[in-house]
Order: sequence, then C-alpha cells, then structure tokens
Amino acid sequence: MLDATTSNLQRYMDLLSTRQKLVASNIANADTPGYKTEDIDFQCEYASLLNGQPPLAYEPPGLPEKPDGNNVSMDRETRMLAENALRFNIASNLVTGQIKDIRSAIDEGKNG
Amino acid sequence: MSLFSSIQVSASGMAAQRTRAEMLVENMANADTTRTAEGGPYKRKDVVFTSELQTSPFSAVFQHEAGQGVRIASVVQDTGPPELRYLPGHPDADANGYVAFPRLNPAEEMVDLLNASRSYEGNVAAITAVKDMITNSVSILKS
Repeated sequence: MLDATTSNLQRYMDLLSTRQKLVASNIANADTPGYKTEDIDFQCEYASLLNGQPPLAYEPPGLPEKPDGNNVSMDRETRMLAENALRFNIASNLVTGQIKDIRSAIDEGKNG
Repeated sequence: MSLFSSIQVSASGMAAQRTRAEMLVENMANADTTRTAEGGPYKRKDVVFTSELQTSPFSAVFQHEAGQGVRIASVVQDTGPPELRYLPGHPDADANGYVAFPRLNPAEEMVDLLNASRSYEGNVAAITAVKDMITNSVSILKS
C-alpha cells in the first residue's frame, strides 16, 4: 500500500480477522459434540503470510476435553475475542496515523 | 473481508441456541402432559448440534475460506420408560391405577436452559467484537 509498515499492518489485520473468525466458530460450536477448538499459530502464520501463504488453522494442544469430545473453553475464547478486537483497534489506529502523516505532508507542501 | 463471515458464524450459533432454548421450554411446559397426538405421555426432546461450513451464495463468490458455523443435526426424543404415579382417580389411569407421566427433571432443564442462554450471550459478544473491528477498519477510510 503506502510503505512497508502499512503493508505489514495490513497483513497483521488480515491475520487478526482470520483468527477472530476461528474464535467466532469456536464460540458458536461451544455445545457441539466432538468439536475441537481451532486457532492459528500467530507468529508462525505471520511469517508465512509475508511469503504469501494463506494462514492454516491448527488444534491447540492441552485443552481439557468434556465427556462429549468437545474441548471449547469459553474463558479462553472470550479472552481471545477481546484481545483480537483490541489488537485490531490498535492496528487500525496506526494505519490511520500513517495516512494522516502523508496527508499532512501533502497539505504542508501546498503552503510551501 | 472475512470479518463478515464471522458474523454469519455467530448468527448460526445464536439460531441454534435459541432453538435449543425453545425445546427446553417446551419440555418444561409439558412436564405433566399425559396426552399427546401420538398417544401416551409427552416425551422429553433434546437437540443435537453439528458444525457446518457457513457460506451464503453471494459471499462464496468472493471468499474461499468459510467459517465453521453450527446447525441442528436432529431433535431426539427420550426413549426411556415414563414415570408411573399412583393416581387412581385420574382419567388417564390404567387398570392398576397408575398414570404415565413424562420422565423429566425440571432442575436438569433449568441448568440446560441457563447453559443455552450463556452460549447465546457468548455469540452476541462475538458479533459485537467483530462489529467493532469492522467499524474500526471503516474509520481508516475517513482519515
């Protein structure tokens, strides 16, 4: 887009929205028998997204399973939900800042 | 943008939980029903959820990744024997004076109903969070 930082932020936001979708799926399937929590390995996927690969979902290990085979933890998902929304908010504010910087450079140039 | 499909996923969760709550309310309302269209006492109903890929025909053209939503696979009826109560004066009593009542535990239904309500709230929270994210990315356009 504008420069390297902005396109990195764009990828970051892409990855956050992918993750948010997985969190929404996990919450929707909180009572589905046999459903397993899905997530993305954030750091790993961010690196592979830089190489132009689409993010892959994986099943995070170590979550306690209920008797019906479902391992969705509502606490974990609500934490993720809030965290993703905040991270996205930060990233979108940073992009807004970048655009404002460029706009002010243009505006100041007019007066010069 | 894949954020819009998150809303669809959460909406499928809300619809499923609402149907579950309706079933539970139906069970409680019929706790003492001894006559039904198919004969015999009312039988407790329960829903079975299954995960399903969510795509609307429109968004499928633009999106290659669909979210795992939820849908109701089936509604199952309790197959256990009815609860027999000794009420000789009841019009539905058998030769020995026993009346067949539905076998259901109101406490169990209430706990399930609470669970359905909490899961519904979880989906609403997810939609709110995603909506905020969409609003934030729209605000980039305004800068």
